[in-house]
Amino acid sequence: MLGFSEHSLTNFLFWITQKKWFLITMVISVFLLFIPAPSGLSIEGYRSIVIVITALMLIVTEPIPLPAIAMYILVMEVYLGIGSANDIAKSFMNDAVFFIMGSLMLAVAIIKQGWDARIALGIITLTGNKTRNIVFGFTAISAILASFIGEHTVAAIMLPIAMTLIHFTSEDKEKVQNLSAVLLFSIAYGALVGSIGTPSGGGRNVIMIDYLRDSGLSMSYINWMLRVYPLVLIQIPIVSWVLMKSFTPEFIKLDSGVRKLVIQVAKSAEMTGRNTIAAVIFLLVFVGWIFFSESVGLGTIALTGVLMYLVGGFVKWEDLSKNTHWGVILLFGSTISLGSNIKTTGAAVWLAESIVNFIEPVINKLPFVADLIVTVMTTTMANVLSSSATVAVLGPITMNMGQDSMHLGMVTAIASAFGYFTAVAAPACTIVYSSGLVNAKDFLKVGWKMGVISIVLLVIYANTYWLFFR
Amino acid sequence: MKILIAVSNKEYSGPTLRVGIRVARAFKASTTIVDVGEKVSEFNAKVVGLSQERLESWNFDRPGVDVLEWAFEFLAEKKFIEPTEIEAGFPKNTLVDTGGNRSEVYLKGTICEDVNLILRNGEIISELRDEVAGHQYDVTIIGGSKKRRMAHDLIQYIDSSIFIVNQFDPDKLYKILLAVDDSKGTRKAVKYGARVAQAFNIDVDILTISKTEHFGEDYKNAAERAAKFIRRCGINYKNIYKVGDPSEVIKEVAGNNHIIVMGTSTRNPLKKFFKGSKPLKVMENCHCPILIVK
Repeated sequence: MLGFSEHSLTNFLFWITQKKWFLITMVISVFLLFIPAPSGLSIEGYRSIVIVITALMLIVTEPIPLPAIAMYILVMEVYLGIGSANDIAKSFMNDAVFFIMGSLMLAVAIIKQGWDARIALGIITLTGNKTRNIVFGFTAISAILASFIGEHTVAAIMLPIAMTLIHFTSEDKEKVQNLSAVLLFSIAYGALVGSIGTPSGGGRNVIMIDYLRDSGLSMSYINWMLRVYPLVLIQIPIVSWVLMKSFTPEFIKLDSGVRKLVIQVAKSAEMTGRNTIAAVIFLLVFVGWIFFSESVGLGTIALTGVLMYLVGGFVKWEDLSKNTHWGVILLFGSTISLGSNIKTTGAAVWLAESIVNFIEPVINKLPFVADLIVTVMTTTMANVLSSSATVAVLGPITMNMGQDSMHLGMVTAIASAFGYFTAVAAPACTIVYSSGLVNAKDFLKVGWKMGVISIVLLVIYANTYWLFFR
Repeated sequence: MKILIAVSNKEYSGPTLRVGIRVARAFKASTTIVDVGEKVSEFNAKVVGLSQERLESWNFDRPGVDVLEWAFEFLAEKKFIEPTEIEAGFPKNTLVDTGGNRSEVYLKGTICEDVNLILRNGEIISELRDEVAGHQYDVTIIGGSKKRRMAHDLIQYIDSSIFIVNQFDPDKLYKILLAVDDSKGTRKAVKYGARVAQAFNIDVDILTISKTEHFGEDYKNAAERAAKFIRRCGINYKNIYKVGDPSEVIKEVAGNNHIIVMGTSTRNPLKKFFKGSKPLKVMENCHCPILIVK
């Protein structure tokens, strides 16, 4: 047919089935670009919204590799005249992108140090052998560690500890189904509720700090902690309580599991001089974040840490390069560029005002409704996209949905951590799911409870405790 | 001859592996067993990889290794691999990353030279298509799926014969139902049908279907040629002539005690894409294993 062999026709049909979402997105994009821009919105603003919609569709359906989506955003921004080639290139990079890069590399360096054995001993010493206490211990340690070093690092460190404990309790997976669920979810959800605690808990927090800075609002590391850390501490017992209620563990005590775990890790948990120096480097990074991040940026400090690990020979560049997803970094750069462009073209303000006009009568009577809408919108998006991409794209819009940009921006950053519902959105959830010990549907089973609790809690918290910071 | 057997887990893939090994033995084929694991979102692929590396240092296997280990034990039980390999146990340390989310273990076989166990991650059709295209398998053996799209994609996009081990009961006495017509594909289907009949030591029903009462010469010749070949192979057979819609008749005659063997459709790919094909219709409706010969 038309000179094509059957084989090439089959290849072409296969390509269509594989790329159907890309093709659908392109058709929608062309269709939207032919519709005139709504009144009150500049043509550049409208076009940047079209790019946002199509880019989000591509991120959710993943028909092309993530770096290709970043390239799509880049070329569309230039071709559609959103900015000059140089302006767009500049909007791809800022301190938040450096932070994401640095934090992914720090994760590799830290995970390779093998601190898991030591942490395992620490948890067991603190909790004893009662399942209830162990679950609380796992949640608390995951949350506290994640608040400083990010959820993905913590999940990767904690997963082997939980799996060893489960394996030593019973080798028959059927007999420890609930125990597996409760321990693995305590890691994932613990890490999620913890990751809001400090700016370095996640790239999304740093993206928000950058947006706030662009709006002339400053937020220091300590200030963030003072505002948000109490919410972490409130949520830790809630997570372990909800998990214990949802999956009643088969064992009240984990006697033999704990005993065998202690024997296994006792040897490898001994700290060497090298381990100590690696820990000191991380401590220095942490101190740097607290005291100097406002002047030199969180990203710079994270990369200083990476530099020290490389100079000290604690990690090889080949390992860092192999385990760092450059495509993801490029994609975050592109979503940050999208965010900054919907801001500069006035699209963010237009979108925010459209939403606010729609709900104005309610907001006037019940001011917390704006928070609720922002929280639900962000949580929904964060469960289908990555949380950092959600904040990058949604942040400029939600920050304009009321008078207090700082308040709304912080609510957005925090709500983006509520990625409880699926196994795919949050790295911590994907990591525990990859163990094969929990089902995909378990995430929804317990996730909706945590989702509702976290949303309600955040709205109450932001409208009470934050009044002290006005 | 190269055969690819796709398994997914111990609970459901037993019949597929059992049938696969029997067919591989009959064809003396070099055999590869593949497990395609779930696709990991690209966002988290690297951190998941890092966490699995960590798990391995705590002596936990990554998902899928247990499936390969189970396949290894099955091969050992059936003496399909060399005794030295069996003694050494499943060599999980030699699971080599061959790039593109694909790892492989090489074993030495008794029936054929190479037996490979492969782990892949991703979307199943796309991974099987890559595997078949890259390593030129002649037959892909896979378990049945209820998803219509999956059946369509398997037939349309996998460039090898497809044996779907649908609702196979090892205790049941099956017959081969060899559907013949005057198309090009029939000759190869007859050869494959005979081999499978030998592998299972069972009889063959040769089915010729005409849409009208009148059976054309070409149809009769095709049925006779098939009968001659089967007879020469020393297999018991019976010729059946039926009138009606081919896919309906094949389904009816097959019931649940036949292994259907038929040639692939000669329709052009575009028509198959929109309208489906005879093998696809049979596959969707039948309650027994089916081998579609390409």
